[in-house]
Amino acid sequence: MGGTTTAVRPAALRATHGAGFGTTGMQRWLDRQFTRIAVLPTTAMMLLIFGVPLAFSFYLSFQGWSPEQALFAGTFAGTANYEDLLTDPQFLKSLSVTFVYTATTVATELACGLGIALLLNIDLPWIGLFRTALVVPMMITPIVAALSWKLLLDPDHSVVNYWIGSHIVWLGRPDTALISVMVVNLWQNAPYVAVLLLAGLRSLPSEPVEAASIDGASRLQVFWHITLPLLKPYILVALLLRTIFEFRAFDNIYVMTSGGPANATMSLSMFTYLASFVRFDLSLGAAASWLMLLICLLLCLFFIAVIRRREAN
Amino acid sequence: MSALSGVGSRRSKLTFAVSVYLGLIAMTAVFLFPLLWVIGLSLKTRLQVFAMPPLFVWWPTLENYIGVLSQADFLQAFVNSLVVSSGSVILSICVGVPAAYAFARFPFRGGSFLFFSLLVMRMLPPIAVLVPMYILFSRLGLTTTRLSVILAYSTFSLPLVVWIMRGFFEDLPRELEESAWVDGASRYAAFRHVVLPLIRPGLVAASILCLQLAWNDFLFAAVLTNNATRTLPVLMAGFSGGDTGVDWGGMTASGALVILPVLIFSFAAQRHLVAGLSSGAVKG
Repeated sequence: MGGTTTAVRPAALRATHGAGFGTTGMQRWLDRQFTRIAVLPTTAMMLLIFGVPLAFSFYLSFQGWSPEQALFAGTFAGTANYEDLLTDPQFLKSLSVTFVYTATTVATELACGLGIALLLNIDLPWIGLFRTALVVPMMITPIVAALSWKLLLDPDHSVVNYWIGSHIVWLGRPDTALISVMVVNLWQNAPYVAVLLLAGLRSLPSEPVEAASIDGASRLQVFWHITLPLLKPYILVALLLRTIFEFRAFDNIYVMTSGGPANATMSLSMFTYLASFVRFDLSLGAAASWLMLLICLLLCLFFIAVIRRREAN
Repeated sequence: MSALSGVGSRRSKLTFAVSVYLGLIAMTAVFLFPLLWVIGLSLKTRLQVFAMPPLFVWWPTLENYIGVLSQADFLQAFVNSLVVSSGSVILSICVGVPAAYAFARFPFRGGSFLFFSLLVMRMLPPIAVLVPMYILFSRLGLTTTRLSVILAYSTFSLPLVVWIMRGFFEDLPRELEESAWVDGASRYAAFRHVVLPLIRPGLVAASILCLQLAWNDFLFAAVLTNNATRTLPVLMAGFSGGDTGVDWGGMTASGALVILPVLIFSFAAQRHLVAGLSSGAVKG
């Protein structure tokens, strides 16, 4: 514990040099405990805001409990909460919506982000200006971004409907509502992927690309056979991060549709929010959040295994 | 195809540069248009906002901004956002920096488990932590206080601080502290007087990235605050209720005022953006 490189010095030296700092037994003991003391606040904080709450919600998910009761006064309900969820059409719908939403937004973000990153990687005068301008959407507060798009898509007074010359109620129809919330997300997060991949592109060695172009490979061939394989680790990281962050989709949906119309945009986070904080069925909410945790953990472990395997090769 | 082969003539290079610029300009226009349009709305009068066909050229007015800045609700939410964001940054830095130093310098039993748990805390969906947190905090009498939001924000800012600062500590040469230890300084004195002053740039970067996340958060604040303690995103979400009955000018002006600070701190930390984004990714 702690003492990897404690300097062992002759007593005489310690007496002369250490005089100003004092070396009582108490201080030496404290010094040996340095690592423990340094991580103690973080450990305590994690238990308080993460460990204890998750353990409690695991317990709660097997209880029938209402907010008026004392913390541990619920009645044991076995797996009833989980059974309720898995037979609830709204929950099943939210599973499929979350899956479609995550897969679609992650795929489009990666495709757009890669395109943007490739363009921004070309060294031309003023390119820094474009690099700065294109990251602006990802910094915007998601709630404000979603509200802005709500105005842009307003049926009566919006500039989008004016341009396409029709009267589409974008957020009022199941198909266009889901597309609309995904577009907002794509607009905010394609730049995020672009920033990550641009960092990857900047760190790639330049020799393979130069050698290939001297050998007469076209830009497309260089991209496909050299740049893309070298970029793969960065693409995997972007894929992992975006999947985790899209899986929790909430802010844009809350503002634009609140899960409607007809549950077309009901993400798992939105479902859990409504169950817990609108209907106040907190034991059902706890069960839903544990199912979310398990799915998310499986996704993470899968990606981590893929990344580890690549690193091992 | 000749224009695409990299070693072409001067002329084909020029064609290539022009097409890249055109692509970049088109993309920037697409990505910035929504924001610019909405900022434009905030500078219109009520009649101009709803004009059909939409006005593309008009004489800008600041009346919406004056209206928003004279609202007590907005100013209260602004103060709440400031208190909650800076509180969570200070808390995470104080708690997380010593741990990051320990992770970087002194491998210890259980260290990799603790580090992995921190990453898991960053990756798991916030709503899943929020449900039990809400119950426990309400029993402790913490809900509707700003302290509860500050504590809740540690779920994302603590992992971010530890992740970023560990990188900064690892890049620092060991010899600096070792010579201080040899001179008889305790671990604490060496950390405080030798290491901390050297990683000040890292502290700034980590603080700004946490500040941005805390400022932009909606979900935790929406559940854990009431009308007196709500933050700006919660106040803004209140605008989503009505449709055209909503005051678009006031709403867009408030929105612009909400994103202005976050744009300023983001550009201040632009160099460190990538480190912040990839925190949570498991590398090495």
